[in-house]
Amino acid sequence: MSDTNKRGLLRRLWEGFWSPAAVLSTGFLLIAGFIAGIVFWGGFNWSLELTNTEEFCTSCHTMETNLGEYRETIHYNNHSGVRAICSDCHVPHEWQYKMKAKIMAVKDVYHELRGTISTPEKYEERRLEMASAVWTKMKASDSRECRNCHAFEYMDFTIQETRAAQNHQKAIDTGMTCIDCHQGIAHDLAPGYLEEYNHVVQKLAAKEHDADIDVAGIKAFLGTKAE
Amino acid sequence: MLSILDLLGTIGAAALGLPGILGVALGMTTRNPLVAGLLAAMVGVVSPLVLGGSHSTHVAITPLEYGVALVIGALAGLVGCAIRRKGATV
Repeated sequence: MSDTNKRGLLRRLWEGFWSPAAVLSTGFLLIAGFIAGIVFWGGFNWSLELTNTEEFCTSCHTMETNLGEYRETIHYNNHSGVRAICSDCHVPHEWQYKMKAKIMAVKDVYHELRGTISTPEKYEERRLEMASAVWTKMKASDSRECRNCHAFEYMDFTIQETRAAQNHQKAIDTGMTCIDCHQGIAHDLAPGYLEEYNHVVQKLAAKEHDADIDVAGIKAFLGTKAE
Repeated sequence: MLSILDLLGTIGAAALGLPGILGVALGMTTRNPLVAGLLAAMVGVVSPLVLGGSHSTHVAITPLEYGVALVIGALAGLVGCAIRRKGATV
């Protein structure tokens, strides 16, 4: 009996939903729908922005290690008082890529629940793998998130350190991207990171068949740095 | 694992982006599923061109992005068309 009533109610709701409005005008429905759309979209976007805060990113236990490392870097404290938080480097600004990053970040919740990196030992075991995944994304996107704040075009090489100015000029000349040199800019590096980064560069070059990528140049640069 | 996640992310982003939302809206403008699918698929092709890439880099949009946007756009158009057929008498 209760099943019949439940089915009946659902059926009535379904039919009511698709029936022409008997008491509401088209104008009312349009205006109400418009306002409801604004409220829904505003709420959605507001919720999305909440997930971009540092408090949200570091609310999981497993984020404590990388938070501590990040707090020792220039992106956390610096002379200019400008701070780049987690989302500035890990979440794209462009809508479709931002949504993609948010959807892909669901895996972090899964691994938090599974305790994949719940101890310092487990974290160290996975450090290179996690770093490699981020490097792959950054290399593939030409360090898109770095370039939200930094651009070669806006750099004044005359006020940079000589070494930095020379390497930035070399990067422009050879088509390198930020992550090619700045792998450990916000988190500690695992042993064997250069070999792993070389692997990332080769993997992406093979995938894209992009003649513009100067793999040999990047490898040579990484080799020089390793020495 | 990453490639499956990448695909899921691309699909979700297309559904919540222009191909999905404008696709449903365009689909609701017609009772013809073919027209709805084609219109919305066009949005799927155009949206990576208009919104893809970024202002600061020159990374090529991948065929996967185009393909997913096209399929999601076409599906969204068909959903919009179904809404029109079910919910309107004209």
